[in-house]
Amino acid sequence: MNLRDLLSPFFVWQRAFEKPYTSIRPTIDRPGAPAYRGFHINVSEECVGCGSCHSICQNHAIDMVPVAEFEGRTGDSGLRPRFDYGRCCWCGLCVDICTAASLRMSNEYAWISEDPDEFHFTAGIDDKPWQNNEHGYRRAEGYHLYPPKRIEMEMLSPDVSVQSFEEVARGYSEAQAKLEADRCVECGICVATCPAHMDVPDYIHSIRDGDYEKGLQLMYRTNPFPATCGRICTRRCESVCPVGILGEPVAIRWLKRFIVDQVDAQDYQRILNDQIIESGHRVAIIGAGPGGLSAAYYLRKKGHAVTVFEAGETAGGMLRYGVPSYRLPDADLDKDIAYIVSLGVDIRYNTRIGKDIEFEQLLQDYDAVFLSTGLSVPSNMRIQGEDHARVLSGLQVLADVASGRDPGIGRQVAVIGGGNVAMDAARVSRRLGADVTILYRRRIADMPADAEEIHESQEEGCNIVPQAIPVEITTADNPQQVSIKWGEAEMVQDPKGGRPRPVLQEDRMHTDTYDCIISAIGQGSDLDFLSKENQQQLAIEWGKFTPGEYQQSALQKVFVGGDVANRTADAISAIEDGHHAARGIERLLNPDEFTTTQTDNTGELT
Amino acid sequence: MTLSTGHSAALDFAQPEPPDLSSGKYVKLWQGPQHPGITGNMSLELVLDGDTIVSCKTHVGYLHRGFEKLMERRTFIQNFTVVCRIAVPEPTFNEYLYSHAVEEISGIEVPERAIWLRTMNLEMMRLASFLMWIGGQSGAFGQYTVPNWTLAYRDYVLDLFEEMTGARIYHMYIVPGGVRAGLPDGFEERARKIMKGAEKLLDQIERVMFNNVVFKARSKGLGIITPDMVDPYGIVGPNARACGLARDIRKDEPYLAYDRLDFETISGNEPDAYGRAYLRLQETRQSINLIRQCLDHAPTDGPFQADMPNVLHWKVPAGETYVKAECTRGEYGYYMVTDGSEFVRRVHVRGPSYTHAIAVMERLAVGTNIADIAGLMVSLHTYPPEIER
Amino acid sequence: MNELLERLQRHFDVNNINVLKPGMTTLKIGKDSAEILIRELRDREGYTHLNFITCIDYIEDGIFTLVYMLHNYDSKHTLGVHVDIDREGEEMTSIHTLWAQAWTYQRELREMYGINFPGSPRLDEDFCLEGWDQIPPMRREFDTRAFSEERFGHREGRHSEVPRVHMKMELYPKRGGDEE
Repeated sequence: MNLRDLLSPFFVWQRAFEKPYTSIRPTIDRPGAPAYRGFHINVSEECVGCGSCHSICQNHAIDMVPVAEFEGRTGDSGLRPRFDYGRCCWCGLCVDICTAASLRMSNEYAWISEDPDEFHFTAGIDDKPWQNNEHGYRRAEGYHLYPPKRIEMEMLSPDVSVQSFEEVARGYSEAQAKLEADRCVECGICVATCPAHMDVPDYIHSIRDGDYEKGLQLMYRTNPFPATCGRICTRRCESVCPVGILGEPVAIRWLKRFIVDQVDAQDYQRILNDQIIESGHRVAIIGAGPGGLSAAYYLRKKGHAVTVFEAGETAGGMLRYGVPSYRLPDADLDKDIAYIVSLGVDIRYNTRIGKDIEFEQLLQDYDAVFLSTGLSVPSNMRIQGEDHARVLSGLQVLADVASGRDPGIGRQVAVIGGGNVAMDAARVSRRLGADVTILYRRRIADMPADAEEIHESQEEGCNIVPQAIPVEITTADNPQQVSIKWGEAEMVQDPKGGRPRPVLQEDRMHTDTYDCIISAIGQGSDLDFLSKENQQQLAIEWGKFTPGEYQQSALQKVFVGGDVANRTADAISAIEDGHHAARGIERLLNPDEFTTTQTDNTGELT
Repeated sequence: MTLSTGHSAALDFAQPEPPDLSSGKYVKLWQGPQHPGITGNMSLELVLDGDTIVSCKTHVGYLHRGFEKLMERRTFIQNFTVVCRIAVPEPTFNEYLYSHAVEEISGIEVPERAIWLRTMNLEMMRLASFLMWIGGQSGAFGQYTVPNWTLAYRDYVLDLFEEMTGARIYHMYIVPGGVRAGLPDGFEERARKIMKGAEKLLDQIERVMFNNVVFKARSKGLGIITPDMVDPYGIVGPNARACGLARDIRKDEPYLAYDRLDFETISGNEPDAYGRAYLRLQETRQSINLIRQCLDHAPTDGPFQADMPNVLHWKVPAGETYVKAECTRGEYGYYMVTDGSEFVRRVHVRGPSYTHAIAVMERLAVGTNIADIAGLMVSLHTYPPEIER
Repeated sequence: MNELLERLQRHFDVNNINVLKPGMTTLKIGKDSAEILIRELRDREGYTHLNFITCIDYIEDGIFTLVYMLHNYDSKHTLGVHVDIDREGEEMTSIHTLWAQAWTYQRELREMYGINFPGSPRLDEDFCLEGWDQIPPMRREFDTRAFSEERFGHREGRHSEVPRVHMKMELYPKRGGDEE
């Protein structure tokens, strides 16, 4: 034994004079570290109820429950996460995956209650003392559990794209589509916002599985124009995609297009396998646009004989004549239409109601009529001189180009308007070799056109002059030209809180001369084929129908839809109108199948 | 002492004949599962002749939660919250090895900053675990002052974990793809302060516990592991190093940032409880040194997570790998087999205690005194949860 | 490394050689020569360390793949020996005479998968599962969820809604694709 080993341990006494490790205060007062994973906080106003927290929770500790404070609405399911602290392990994956970053954790970790059910609570709804804690776990900047950025779509470069009418968006490769499809969190919030309520998460899932035939089947459940919508849809779904709150929304439109592009038209029959059992009923449809043909598709599937009356020489309506082929190639529109027609839909081209056949006749000959004639009449600018021969309408220019005719626009073109038709007319003019100036009353940010279209038209060299109000059209020295007098505008706040109004500045007027002026400030309906009596019966206001349930008009047999009957006036809404009208017509024709099942008070079916 | 570790025919793995309990000569005694001298919930079925142990059987199962099975039914991201529970005092090694196995099979490259943060996290874990172990070893020989010091000081290290990871015990910080956050403001300063205090504490412990006539008397000569036992018994870590083998995965097959850290494998030449304890004390100091090096070198900006797929439907390609790291007890490993689905096909967690607490313990216990059994067990540094994953 | 594999291929019927990464290779061998191969690796090739023994259940193929992970400290190389056995009742040669911890692994495999290793000590003693009366739980057909549903109750008042379904019911019950 060595003496040192005997004495050394007595060093322990030195510690009696040192500061103790222990703390006198009750430890409950000790706050958790600033990033401590304590009790949950949900900023319920920011939460969109996507349920990703529920999906990722390996403990099944999170339920998505309806709460009185929030109702389902665009971009918000109205559900909020409810936590079962009997199961939670405070891993914080729910915080990491939260698409809105509304879910957080406080640094509070002490909670005492005699009632075990108290530990089952809806964060952000049930009042908890830590709801506003400044500290606690947040997802760190730069840390993601799904890729926040979308896969870029390859586009023709602007200097190439203006050379021809070739499609600008090149489409995803399979690898790109799978990566983009991977970003979807499958919450399905987009489904409510899509006018047609397409099964978006499901068809995106089919891309991840590489099962494009299933994807096609899923899309046809709600939309017989997937090739078209995969290219030109207004994609309101993407505007509510929760992935877009902190990053970029899933490119739902491009994924839809990808599925269609993978499937050959000749395989549609086999894949979709629409079995038709003739019902003996006959339905007339007026207008072979997306609304009319969508109705035709779903009615035909129910076995009804469908006849479509189309004034033009081809089907597609505004998709054919209003959307240029660099955005929607004819072949892709034809792919959609050909399948609908293949089910035995009879389209009578060059047949105008009121001229070639009377509306009353249809009411007599058919069991039901679906009316979707669209908006085909360009609106007037309501300024002097606009009937000048060198003032063309945007719709006419687009229709001429779509039909292979030369619209005769010349080299110097001014386009008036800020909507999609204006952008399309401008970009078509660029492709025809013209220099294009776009005059718009308000700011670029106020333009109703799709932001992507505005951006692309600028890239293709269209010169946008915002806050420019046309005042008068005058004859130019050269009879092949036309002059426009326009004034600069200042944006003035609306005292009532509406959107700012452009006010003409009389002292800043300009006059420019162009080879032609293309007016594209909107369009209206042409319902002259209806008799005055019919028009009254159908309750038309401002040239539009106000349909009832199932798109039914005031006339029992007549259903209406498409641009002429909705406010959104886009293809996807028209498609849904057609689909919904088909449901309504089905109920009209086969009422027996829809009698509500009644139960008596014993609960037995009667 | 020779360093022959090869397998010799002389080693006999045969189970000893069970003592004849009806002879009236023996007493059967259960140590554990609830016993302060047991490292966690396990029990030893001891047969005593007087107070000498003639047979020892290890019983586990008190902690079996079926992690390996649970992992086959959870997605790859969900598993990361489960694995830390496999070794309570050292959860971080599970996080790292699980993540690393997934990354290796899916070909994910972890960014530099995450590599350093992971290294520091693992060394902090070793420090915290060693502190707890020192207390356990001291307490097992009846000296209760040191456990009070080390467990209290371990809490300062846990404070650092709390700041860095958001939790004290189950950190869930190392996630497939990287780590969940960078270091908080002022962390380095506080960490250095705590490292300094730890060093001072270890000096005090050396005087009180190691230069201690009682501790020496109790631990010297107890539980001798001879070099020729090492490979036949699968002995790893400090238990193997204490008998002279310079084997340390951090040095031999460097992972993370260990190839850029300045350290040497520590080996001893006293293969008994005292030698192992002293080696661990030195390794604790080594961990402090390594943490400081990490603080010096860890980048303070840049990404700490690789680009990841959407974890909600993450499918890892079919593959197989075995990854390992040097935890306080030696080789800790994850064997993973994937089949291309959203779920792992098989994970096998290899913990050093699997052999240290069973085959080794059952052999070393025979012939020792009942009073030494707790000290022996702690000196092998065993964690039951890693046996019964 | 290649020399070793060549030697092994000369003497044993090994196949499916798979280099997983530098320092780690797996190979497959028939059940009957596995024990001899492993002994050879231990005694002549320096694979003195048994990392672990484990089993993978390929229920769809009706086989268990036993994995013997061996390590050579000198070459720092790890070799995984895979042995396929029939899932239903096929026995495997015990290697409890090669490593002291082998019997523990075999006892666990017996309990968790039901694999028999004749001659392995204490094989039928309970390892983790005392009083277990179900099929060996690590077999793929053992359904942990069904097991826990059967034994444990659910907390009252738990109910979760699917956002998409909830929104349909609330916002557009008559539309969408579900009606068809």
